[in-house]
Amino acid sequence: MYSKIKLDDNKEISLKKELIDKSDITYVYIPLFNCGVECKCLVKKGKKVKKDTIIGIREDIDFPILSPVSGTVMGIEKKLYLNNCSVDCIKIKSDFKNKSETYNEVEDINNYSKSKYIELLKRFSITGMGGSDFPTFLKYKNKVRTLIVNAVECEPYITSDYELIMHKASEIVDAIYAIKVINNIDECYIVIKRKNKELYNVLKEYIDFYGNIKIVKVKDYYPAGYEREIVKNILNVNYDKYPSEKNIVVNNISTIYSIYKALKYNTSISKRIVTLSGEMFRTPVNLLLRIGTDMSSVLKRLDGYVRKTKVKLVSGGPMMGYSLEDDNLVVTKNLNCILVIRDIEEYDENPCLKCGRCIEACPMKLSPVSIKENLSNPDELKKLDVNKCMECGLCSYICPAKIDLRSYVRAAKKEVNHK
Amino acid sequence: MKFKVDNGPHVKDSDNTSRIMNRLMIALIPIICFSVYKNVSIIYRMDISILEALKPLFMILIAIFTSVITEFLYSLFILKKNKKDLKEYMKHSYAIFPGLFLALVIPLNTPLLLVSLGAFIATLIGKMIFGGFGHNIFNPALTGALLVTTAYGSFISGTSNLFELDTIGSATPLANLANFNYVGTFEQIVGKFGSIFNYIFGTIPGTLGETNKFLILIAFIFLVATKVIKWRIPVFYISTVFVITYIVSLTNDIGIWYPLFHILSGGLLFGAVFMATDPVTSPITPMGQVLYGIGLGILTTILRFLTPYPEGVLTSILFMNMTVSLFDKIGLKIRNSFNKKLIYITIFILLVISTGFIINKNLNKDDSSVKILNVIKSEDSYVYEMSSKAWGVITANVTIKDGVVISVDIVNSSSETKWSHIVSNDYINKIINGQDNLDSLDAISGVTITSDGLKEMVKKVIEDYGDKYER
Repeated sequence: MYSKIKLDDNKEISLKKELIDKSDITYVYIPLFNCGVECKCLVKKGKKVKKDTIIGIREDIDFPILSPVSGTVMGIEKKLYLNNCSVDCIKIKSDFKNKSETYNEVEDINNYSKSKYIELLKRFSITGMGGSDFPTFLKYKNKVRTLIVNAVECEPYITSDYELIMHKASEIVDAIYAIKVINNIDECYIVIKRKNKELYNVLKEYIDFYGNIKIVKVKDYYPAGYEREIVKNILNVNYDKYPSEKNIVVNNISTIYSIYKALKYNTSISKRIVTLSGEMFRTPVNLLLRIGTDMSSVLKRLDGYVRKTKVKLVSGGPMMGYSLEDDNLVVTKNLNCILVIRDIEEYDENPCLKCGRCIEACPMKLSPVSIKENLSNPDELKKLDVNKCMECGLCSYICPAKIDLRSYVRAAKKEVNHK
Repeated sequence: MKFKVDNGPHVKDSDNTSRIMNRLMIALIPIICFSVYKNVSIIYRMDISILEALKPLFMILIAIFTSVITEFLYSLFILKKNKKDLKEYMKHSYAIFPGLFLALVIPLNTPLLLVSLGAFIATLIGKMIFGGFGHNIFNPALTGALLVTTAYGSFISGTSNLFELDTIGSATPLANLANFNYVGTFEQIVGKFGSIFNYIFGTIPGTLGETNKFLILIAFIFLVATKVIKWRIPVFYISTVFVITYIVSLTNDIGIWYPLFHILSGGLLFGAVFMATDPVTSPITPMGQVLYGIGLGILTTILRFLTPYPEGVLTSILFMNMTVSLFDKIGLKIRNSFNKKLIYITIFILLVISTGFIINKNLNKDDSSVKILNVIKSEDSYVYEMSSKAWGVITANVTIKDGVVISVDIVNSSSETKWSHIVSNDYINKIINGQDNLDSLDAISGVTITSDGLKEMVKKVIEDYGDKYER
């Protein structure tokens, strides 16, 4: 057992305002980057592209990168990816026509074969939109028995999935049903937080139409939305590396919506909802942004930062998110949130007082403090199962001496994996 | 626009080390206030000056003062901190606690100079030479207390303590228990110090911190609720002591009050809640904490029963401090395996039970039946205060005159029903009448052990009288 920790979720602040559409932009930047792998550029400067034109490719798995707009390729420019690394991006000038190369409205989306389905997932570059950017077609290669749709959103502040369900519940449920039929899946679950009753009501309405899809409510704690945690909570199944070992697929609810787009209209997703929040941001809000948007232009057009104190810019949630050095961040499919939060400098490390809270907090039942102590001893580190760490950050969060244990565990992982 | 980059997480729990230490201090304040009040209140019953009555306060202040000064000088001259660092360092080293805890655990009649020395040792040897806060292996306060009480014990016991001598009897309940060879009647062991309320609300002799169990219990609840201490250690520590002493009480036919007495007397509760849970010197793994608590309980009862030191809490905590890393290793190893946990728990439970029986066996060995507690000469006769451990414990005054037992007055008996059986058979008179040939006197069926016990008692008196007084 470990003690479940509830964080201050601060979600209501970004839900006060209606969703704002800021997707009318001239330039988009598409990173040549997927899941830590650099991709090859397939277009030259000056080339006219349409929406869904393949402009780059990840060569090891032959995975395409698509243009989200129609327009002209302007060249390659460095922009900040959400992990705070500068990456090469293809700059495209939009002609605002948004003509798609492949657009085709399909009457019955349940009518695909499994191989066609996987082909579509690949062609329309569908990746995990919860943050991983993992190509989704890889998850469906095995036989699938259970589909779990993750709408937990356990990180504080983020409400982009919430907003999406409120607007697109019908489409999402249609897509889940289609995936179920196409892949001949036995059981489907949609996982939401117990306290989000509105989501339950909205989804319930459409689910009653289909039946056979269950809504599961989980407790409000962090990290309730982690793949491992969800699979354990719902099916009581532990797996080694990927849930597909046990014929389980876990998809984020936004990913499901992008699958809907691919099935129904044969097109890729070109916009996504991004939460803009944080206590140092004047008007927290959910924005509908085009993939490839340079955030600095959007931030300029909004009310801007509260500049009384030093602030930090964070991509993703406050627990797992990366602190950014610059605001020229490019919006990608896996970016769900941007936070402007206070930069607290009093976090200087005190000596460990051996309270054991990191051990009790760790959802993977590791002992971060012992890992830190044995950092120079790879054999001992292996015994401590460092590779099980999913870097949720709870150890660093809970430590009363403000020791950044997660960084030590990351270092330990490197140490072990090098040898 | 540029921003500062760090590793995150970008939100952190609002709790920190300083807040934890503040809460620990809050939990201690009522206990400190009570210890001062307890002594001041005695003024009204005795003719002592206010300065003497305020000794607890002086002890605490001097100990804290010495601790802080020692730490300050150490970091200034030996760690060679500059002015700015020094301020930060002192802010995060919580220098008052070694001294404060020391004052709360050493006997009240310790001379103030020794208190100061103890605080100095606690800070220097217990804490600073290991590298300061967070790095020490032994509990600093207990290190100081142990060195002072063993090295200068004669100064402490030699200086009599007016207040406690007068009000509630000279020895602490545990020292009294040891005088009775660890087993006795309620009256002998508990009754001397008043009712159960005296035990709970602290009006019995003892060190400053340990006596008021009620306040310690409140502090325990507060500290667990606010996540300052590791609750498993005190819970398993005290439960273990309870189980072991309960085994002793069962096999000796003593009531349930006996294990409760063990928990409520001495520094067990205070030690378990405040000293054994000192985060720096206790295991970090949950299972390690459970086993550590059980280990403490076993060690404390062994020290209490089988060594000349009736207290045992201080020594056992210090000893167990050495084993913390071992318990953590075990705790880490068995953390994710239910079976391994079960094996270890079973082993420790067996250890607890066997400790109970071993203690019991050793107790019975040196005093199986009859014992002379006291002999009083009155005019031409001698009154023997006797105790006999038969089925339960009987104490009686046996009066002997010119080698002839003339009366047997029962002072106390732990078993009323069996006693009425003896009385109804007029057994005492039978003994007195048949004292010349006691071996031929038959025991009463149903209360064989008790009646035999009485017989042995009288036999021993006659024997002893013959040896010493008959010429």
